[in-house]
Amino acid sequence: MDQHLIASVGRDGPAHRHPPSNPTAAVAVQADGIHKRFGSLEVLKGVSLTAREGDVITLIGSSGSGKSTLLRCINMLEVPDEGRITICGETIAMKTARGRTMPANSRQVDRIRTRLGMVFQNFNLWTHMTILENVIEAPVHVLGVPKGEAIDLARSLLDKVGILGKADCYPVQLSGGQQQRAAIARALAMQPKVMLFDEPTSALDPELVGEVLRVIRQLADEGRTMILVTHEMDFAREVSSKVVFLHQGRIEEEGAPDRVLTNPDSDRVRQFLSRHLSAA
Amino acid sequence: MNWTLMWDSLPRLLAALPLTLQLVTLALAFGAVLAFATALLRLSGNRVAVALTSAYSFVFRGTPLLVQIFLIYYGLSQIEFIRDSFLWPVLSQPMWCAILALALNTGAYTAEILRGAIETVPQGQVEAARACGMSRLRVFRRIVLPVAIRQMLPAYGNEVILMVKASSLASTITMMEITGVARRMIAQTFAVFEIFIVAGILYLLINFIATRLIKHAEWRMTPHLRARA
Repeated sequence: MDQHLIASVGRDGPAHRHPPSNPTAAVAVQADGIHKRFGSLEVLKGVSLTAREGDVITLIGSSGSGKSTLLRCINMLEVPDEGRITICGETIAMKTARGRTMPANSRQVDRIRTRLGMVFQNFNLWTHMTILENVIEAPVHVLGVPKGEAIDLARSLLDKVGILGKADCYPVQLSGGQQQRAAIARALAMQPKVMLFDEPTSALDPELVGEVLRVIRQLADEGRTMILVTHEMDFAREVSSKVVFLHQGRIEEEGAPDRVLTNPDSDRVRQFLSRHLSAA
Repeated sequence: MNWTLMWDSLPRLLAALPLTLQLVTLALAFGAVLAFATALLRLSGNRVAVALTSAYSFVFRGTPLLVQIFLIYYGLSQIEFIRDSFLWPVLSQPMWCAILALALNTGAYTAEILRGAIETVPQGQVEAARACGMSRLRVFRRIVLPVAIRQMLPAYGNEVILMVKASSLASTITMMEITGVARRMIAQTFAVFEIFIVAGILYLLINFIATRLIKHAEWRMTPHLRARA
C-alpha cells in the first residue's frame, strides 16, 4: 500500500527531469565507429556514442537492435570487430591476430574495467559468497583496498541501497530486487567513473522493478555518469540526459528524452514508442 | 561358520589396514594433482594439449585397472631404457607401481569430473568478475574453482569409494594390504568365507568413514545451499 502511494506521488508530482548534458564536461566514455559481428550477423554497423561526465544516456530499441551489445563493447565483454573505445581519455589498444581483433593488452583492459561498474540483467552475484563478501571481493582483491576499509564502504553502500540487513545472507536468500540492489552496491564499491546498466529490471517481477529503479534514479540525481539499456520508457524519460534509439545496429535517432520520446523524427521510433508507451 | 577363526583373523587384517590407507591416500593425492593439470590443459583450447589429455583419459578410462597394474609392474621392467633410468629405484617397487597405476586411473576420472564441474560454473558469474577488472587467473582462483570444487564433491566422493575398493588389486602384485593378507590367510586356513567377510567389513568401515568425511566437507563448503529457506 505504502509503495503504491509513493509511486503515485512520484508520477503526479512535479515533472522530474535530469539536466541536459553539459557540453563542457570531460568525456567519460567515447565509442567510435563500433562494428560487431556474430558469425554472419552484423549486430553493430558503425555506432558512435559520447558520454560526458554527469550524463545519463539511455539506449533503447527493440530486441536485437544491438543496444546490449553496444553496452558490452564499452567494457570489452564483447570485443568490437572495428572501432575504438576511449574511457576517461585512455583508448583501449587493439591488435589483430589470426584475422581476429582483440585487445592488445589484457592488463590495460582489466585496469579500465575497474573504472566501469557493470550491472547485469541477471544480477550475476557470486553464489558462494555472502552479500558483504560479494561487495568487498573486487575492492580487496583487485584494487588492494584494506579489508576493514572495504567492509566499511560496503556497509555504507548496502545501507544506501537499503539491504544492509542482508549483508550476511547468501544471494539465494534474497528476492530478485534485493539481489539487483546488491549487484549495484557491488559495482559501486569499485568507485567507478561510469556505471553501465544492462536491462537491470528486465528479469524482475513487476512489483520489484520500482525498488531497483529508485536506487538507479538516486544515482542519477547524484550526478553519476551512467549508460543504461532499458525498456522502461517512463523511467528513461525521467532520468536521462540523452536517449539513443538503436535500430538494426545503427543509431536511428538520439537527443533529449522529451523530444525523442514524445516527438521523434523517425517513424520507426514512433512505431516503437506506440508499442511501448501504450503498455505503460 | 567358524566365529573364532574370524575373530582371530582380525588383528592380522587390521595390521594390513595402514598399507591400504597409504595406497589410497597417496594415489588420491597424486591423482588430484594429475587431474587438476589434465583438466586445465583440456580446457586450455590448445590443440596439442587437448589431444594429449583426451588420449590419456581415453586410454586409462577405457582399459581395466588390473591390466594397467600388470603393464606397469611386469611390463615396464622389460624395457632396458627404464631399467637403466633414474626412475628404476621407484618403478622396481610394487608399492610405487600400484600407486602409479591407481593415481593414473583416478587422475583420468577426476579430471573429467573437474572439467565438467568447471564448465557448469555460470558464465554470468565469470563475466561479473571480469567486469570488475579481475584477471583470468584471479577469476579462476576466486570464482570458478571454489564453485567447481563444491559442484564436484558428490561425484568425487564416489571416486574415493571406488579407489578404496580398487586398492585391493594391488594384492596381485605382492602388496600385503587387506586383500593380500586375506588371500595369504585363506591359503593357510582354507577359510575363504570367514576371512573374506572380515576383509569386506574392513572395506565397508573405511568407506563409511570416507563417505562421512566427504559429506562433512560438502556441508562445510555449501552454506549458500543450506541457506536456501
